[in-house]
Amino acid sequence: MKIKKYLTVVRISFQNAFVYRSNALGGLVFYALFIFVFFNLWRAIYQSGEAAGYSLNQIIWYLCMTELIVFGCKTGIFSEMNEDVKSGSIAYQLNRPYHYVFYQFSNALGTMFFNLIIYGVLAVVLGLIMVGPLPDYKLSMLPFGLFSGMLGILINFFLMMTLGFTAFKLEDNLAFFLIYQKLVFMLGMFIPVEFLPKWLQNVAVWLPFSYIAWAPAKLIVDFSWELFWRVVPVQVCWAFIAIILAIFMYSYGVRSLQAHGG
Amino acid sequence: MSQVKNVLKLIGLYFKVNLASALEYRSGFLIQAFGMALSNGTFVFFWWVAFTQTGGRIGGYDFNDVMFIWALTSTAFGASHILFANMNRITRLIVSGELDTYLLQPKDVLISLLCSKTSLSAWGAFSYGFVLIALTQGRSPMAWLMFLTGVITGGLLMTAICVTAHTFTFYFGDASLMGNMAQEFIINFCNYPEGIYKGFVRVLLLSIIPASFIVHIPLKLARSFNATLLLALLAFSFMYCLLAYKFFYRGLKRYESGNLIITRL
Repeated sequence: MKIKKYLTVVRISFQNAFVYRSNALGGLVFYALFIFVFFNLWRAIYQSGEAAGYSLNQIIWYLCMTELIVFGCKTGIFSEMNEDVKSGSIAYQLNRPYHYVFYQFSNALGTMFFNLIIYGVLAVVLGLIMVGPLPDYKLSMLPFGLFSGMLGILINFFLMMTLGFTAFKLEDNLAFFLIYQKLVFMLGMFIPVEFLPKWLQNVAVWLPFSYIAWAPAKLIVDFSWELFWRVVPVQVCWAFIAIILAIFMYSYGVRSLQAHGG
Repeated sequence: MSQVKNVLKLIGLYFKVNLASALEYRSGFLIQAFGMALSNGTFVFFWWVAFTQTGGRIGGYDFNDVMFIWALTSTAFGASHILFANMNRITRLIVSGELDTYLLQPKDVLISLLCSKTSLSAWGAFSYGFVLIALTQGRSPMAWLMFLTGVITGGLLMTAICVTAHTFTFYFGDASLMGNMAQEFIINFCNYPEGIYKGFVRVLLLSIIPASFIVHIPLKLARSFNATLLLALLAFSFMYCLLAYKFFYRGLKRYESGNLIITRL
């Protein structure tokens, strides 16, 4: 079966991540630092009470979740694509019995899975220490939030991959990555979309960035079926578009690939 | 005195050579600098939204105060990475044995080591701070004076913290994680109002992670000048840098060459 080879890649990359688990130690410290700094910041902001419909408790859990998605998704896929294309090493992978895009995805999936487990545990511990559990939280709704989180991770991964493939045509594409990263930060990761001015909220609805971190984090901390049916179909559409874009950019780029030397 | 003059001359010389080399790749240089400035710039938006929510002050700071500390952090970080970018590679150089090259040179080892690399994107961070100060502090001479003072003391402190963290490699082996952590901690604690932290963290900010001396005290001086506080800032910065310098040389005595043969171009 075709999918079997990709599952093997997922398994091997998960095992690799587990063997080199001490590499994740630095990331855990940085994760805790970010949460600590933002916990203090939001506590100061919330001295006047509730803001944009979120309580302090909810906003800290929201932050733990958005950071979890961003830290969990850290796979270096953009720089890997860049390096593969610029160094020409992508040429070695063309004749292998897999699709390059799906191979990279499977390879990243194992690492992401491992990261999500360890950052997930830390997120829950930090959330409980800092603000305690969410009042009246319905644990039965968590799988729906996690499903949305998976879609967010898919969108993020394939959009980053698409940006990485611009290296086929551009000499230096770092600016694209920085702009993309900041759009994700500002449209959901650091601040929930509800905090933004109305006009920007209206713009954000049509863009994929807030569906990466905001939608799943909001569903996890404050689930409602109305929100679920409003955001999840849009996430599915964006995930589909992102995958198609990545495949298209790869096929388009690889056609004009010129590798020299050996 | 002549020793200080020699060190400054050496730093100036390295700067000229590094800049000339960076300008050979103009487009890459401009893209990286622009990317860094843009990356910093987006946080103005974050603060604008945050202050809109509170309508006044956060941790005792107003919007202009926060812009001052962001500008100062950015420019001090930029200055330290334009002049001393190799600080982030100290561990690697020690572990790989590449430090031998610097030991053979007839100049101060630490200064040569720090100055022999520059960061292109640091120019973006450096200039971003000036733009932000010009836009938010207007023509306030005290704000400008303390900003410029803070860039020198802050840049040196950031470098000293990084050097100290990487120097632990001489004692305990690979300290790159500690080096990265030192840098992340210092930037994060510099970028947010001091008043949001309480108790033990405030003590840390005045000692091991001296973020207060890098940005918060220059801000206090800009808002209400106090000669004693300025002297305390200068004395602390000098002492911290001196201790970092001495610590590095003490560690250097433990260095063992791996007989690696390398060429430095």
